[in-house]
Amino acid sequence: MPDQPLQPFAPPTALLEYLPDNISAGAIVEWALYIVFAFWALYTIIAIYHWLKYSHASWIAFPSIALHLFISFSLMAYALSGTLFI
Amino acid sequence: MKEFELEPGEHVVLQVRKHWFLFLGELLPFAIIAIIPFALPKILPFAPPLAQYATLFDYSTPTMRAGLGVWLLITWTSAWGAFTRYFLNAWILTNNRIVNIKQRRFFSREVSSLFLSRIQDVTTNVSGILQSLLGIGDIKAQTAAEDVEFIMHGIPRPEQMRDLILKYVPEGDSKPTGI
Repeated sequence: MPDQPLQPFAPPTALLEYLPDNISAGAIVEWALYIVFAFWALYTIIAIYHWLKYSHASWIAFPSIALHLFISFSLMAYALSGTLFI
Repeated sequence: MKEFELEPGEHVVLQVRKHWFLFLGELLPFAIIAIIPFALPKILPFAPPLAQYATLFDYSTPTMRAGLGVWLLITWTSAWGAFTRYFLNAWILTNNRIVNIKQRRFFSREVSSLFLSRIQDVTTNVSGILQSLLGIGDIKAQTAAEDVEFIMHGIPRPEQMRDLILKYVPEGDSKPTGI
């Protein structure tokens, strides 16, 4: 059992100091966003495929898909709005 | 529904899914995950060694906005995926059979039928305070072969479903029993 008090660890932003000079933090955030959006697009396509294949006759299929796309694009716009200023 | 073809003279009597309250329970973890980024800056000051990190959650900075946006996007998409799976799981009662559609995950779907003429026994089970108040229960339909049974978990108004099943079971020498 350690008898010393816990020491605060360095916040994650300190890791940015170790980046090479030719790579900016903004570029990393931007590429991370693209990767997340790519996974989101793949997942969404698969889910929509299931909705349309198995619940095409249901009245809730299209509103559900539309709501998902609307909320997702809003969140993406929010996430990207930050990167525009980096 | 194109998972199965209705036979001539067959029609859908009722289509049921798991009770909406049970689905809300499945959404609870997503709701908790969604509020974590907003709750942490308020909770951290109460733990003095961690209080200094509360300032990291400043969503006016571009990086944190991107982080929050991604966090909420992943959470929302996961919750919507859960709703998709909830909606694609269904039990369909026709005047000939019960069709059980199981969507375990994407690209994993099982559709099975139990003809009403094979049913020997139908049992409903409602246990618990909330289940009794909200009318949530299970139905077990048993055939003559003891290892073949249909169980519908967490459906709304199981007694109504049982009565409908019994109503459409064809008359014969061995009329099934409803419990």
